[in-house]
Amino acid sequence: MLSFSKTIALISLLFFFAGILYHYFVTRKLKLPPDFARPKGSWKVGVLYSFTFGMMPWAKESTRKHWLAYLRGVAFHIGIFTGLFTLALSFFINQFNETVNLIFALIVGFGALMGFAGIVMRIVERNLREISTLDDFISVALVSISLAFIALALIEPAFKIPMYLVSAIMLFYAPLGKVRHCLYFFFSRFFFGLHLGKRGIVHRFTEVSYGK
Amino acid sequence: MANNGTLQKALETLEKQLNQPLKTALEVCARCGICAESCHYYVSEPKIEHVPAYRAEQLRKIYRRKNNFLGKIFPRLVNAIDLDEKTFDKLVEMAFSECTLCRRCTFNCPLGVDTPLVMRTIRAMATATGKAPEILVMLADAAIAKGENPEIFKELFLQQISELERELQEITGDQNAKIPVEKEGARILYVALAGAHTILPPAIIFNEVKEDWTLSLYEAANYGVFLGDVERAKKIAKRIIDEAKRLKVQEVIVAECGHACAALVWDAPNWFGEKFPFRVRSIIELLAEYIQKGILKVEKIHTQPITYHDSCNLARTGGIFREPRLILKSIANDFKDMNPNGIENYCCGGGGGLVALPEYYEKRMRAGKPKAEQIKKTNAKIVAAACENCKLQLADLNNYYNLGVEVKGVVDLVAEAILHRKKSISSVS
Repeated sequence: MLSFSKTIALISLLFFFAGILYHYFVTRKLKLPPDFARPKGSWKVGVLYSFTFGMMPWAKESTRKHWLAYLRGVAFHIGIFTGLFTLALSFFINQFNETVNLIFALIVGFGALMGFAGIVMRIVERNLREISTLDDFISVALVSISLAFIALALIEPAFKIPMYLVSAIMLFYAPLGKVRHCLYFFFSRFFFGLHLGKRGIVHRFTEVSYGK
Repeated sequence: MANNGTLQKALETLEKQLNQPLKTALEVCARCGICAESCHYYVSEPKIEHVPAYRAEQLRKIYRRKNNFLGKIFPRLVNAIDLDEKTFDKLVEMAFSECTLCRRCTFNCPLGVDTPLVMRTIRAMATATGKAPEILVMLADAAIAKGENPEIFKELFLQQISELERELQEITGDQNAKIPVEKEGARILYVALAGAHTILPPAIIFNEVKEDWTLSLYEAANYGVFLGDVERAKKIAKRIIDEAKRLKVQEVIVAECGHACAALVWDAPNWFGEKFPFRVRSIIELLAEYIQKGILKVEKIHTQPITYHDSCNLARTGGIFREPRLILKSIANDFKDMNPNGIENYCCGGGGGLVALPEYYEKRMRAGKPKAEQIKKTNAKIVAAACENCKLQLADLNNYYNLGVEVKGVVDLVAEAILHRKKSISSVS
């Protein structure tokens, strides 16, 4: 049964990558309008800023005001990356050492909790409830349950079978639903960074020089 | 089947507009809702329709029905819907009256979702199907007609400029002061807006620094941009681009106008697919350069407290937010910034062509409430702005909320400082 569930999960993981690649190539096939406007600053610095300092909680009024929601999101996503990492490794390694297991379990488990908290927020907060789709709830639920089982499996190997089965469903659903925003995040921050850099908005790094 | 034809045309326009940035904006939103309080509409009236993510979702629902696996097979999972007449009318109303394309949501979004791009797409769909506000279409078409028949208005225009020139000479006391028109080989081509108020103050400044300039025959305003109609926007911009090329100028300087500056600097090169053989800048950037380089000498003559409203198109779109402060701090004794300001400023509520649409007056007054409150908190007596539509909106807000302020252009304040200095010099001598 463990072998079977592992195989299903691996196939789903491959489907996930194939799905994300499909979306990537479909998007890349679309036109990227060239920009002939004279730049006021460096687009490279803008893009770098967009992926680094621009993501910091103090960089935006929204995250300064809602730092708790921001931290919840950060913890959820760190849990996701750690969870996916341990899941991927589990195909090749049976067991980490006890300390590593515990640390990963705490990170992933906390991520799962933050995911469930996100679902509660989506039900309780009026704005979130009204703009959410069923797909939002399904996606967050699948990811959070998957993380929960990954965390449990790190502590108690008996949870490995449900971990693989739930993760298989999650990974299969991911490229079809909202989770594929993990790909579009990179496109979006890249375009935003282009804007910030070329237009000299990230002025700390792109000083506007007059006369040149 | 006229309705089906309209809807079909709308969907075709959406497909035609679909490029990497638009697809990204339509796919990436995590619907986290953190954008809500970034929108001045939401701050003044916290309802779901004023959440930027909600607005963009109205187009995403239609996009998903055609372009998303779940949207095609299990539409209810992703709220995918077919476009019908009622939905389209609501979309159009929302895009033209409940979003000023200010980008504040994008700057506050953890993912950088370009919601204004989604709104502009809806505007393009509306314009393609004849559902855009008539006034905006008329204004755009009038500008195009002017460009196609310059000889019709040129004589009258030159007469008016001649009278303005006399007024300039009287105000400055300089009989050699000129407002050149169609001067070939001039260094800069200055593109004003309709009205002497955007010609005289810059003329005072240009004559003071002995700039080699010429005045454009055309106005900088581009209503094609508000319509999301690239073809119209291109035709309007072409008049100015052709004039600049014909006169072989080195720079095109745009009057105090947010959307016009953004259109000519950032959009027009892409509409024409070329790097222009001249630089395009806002007059604000030029003035800041004059002051920084010591070409224009000014003094702090304005004693009343002055605050500055950042135009969204200048700040968030064009990166122009240091320059106006540099200028104002050179001519004002008491400059107070609003909070927030710069690229975090609140939109005044008049952007996106809204000031030209009288049917939305009450809506834009309500949307401008956060800005009105910001102004009140500064205790300023003068609100400076570097955008014509912002100035109109701020003047309306001043009356509506009894702010007791005077709204002035940055260029106007600089011109006043020059005239004050001239007067002091002549009274001493």
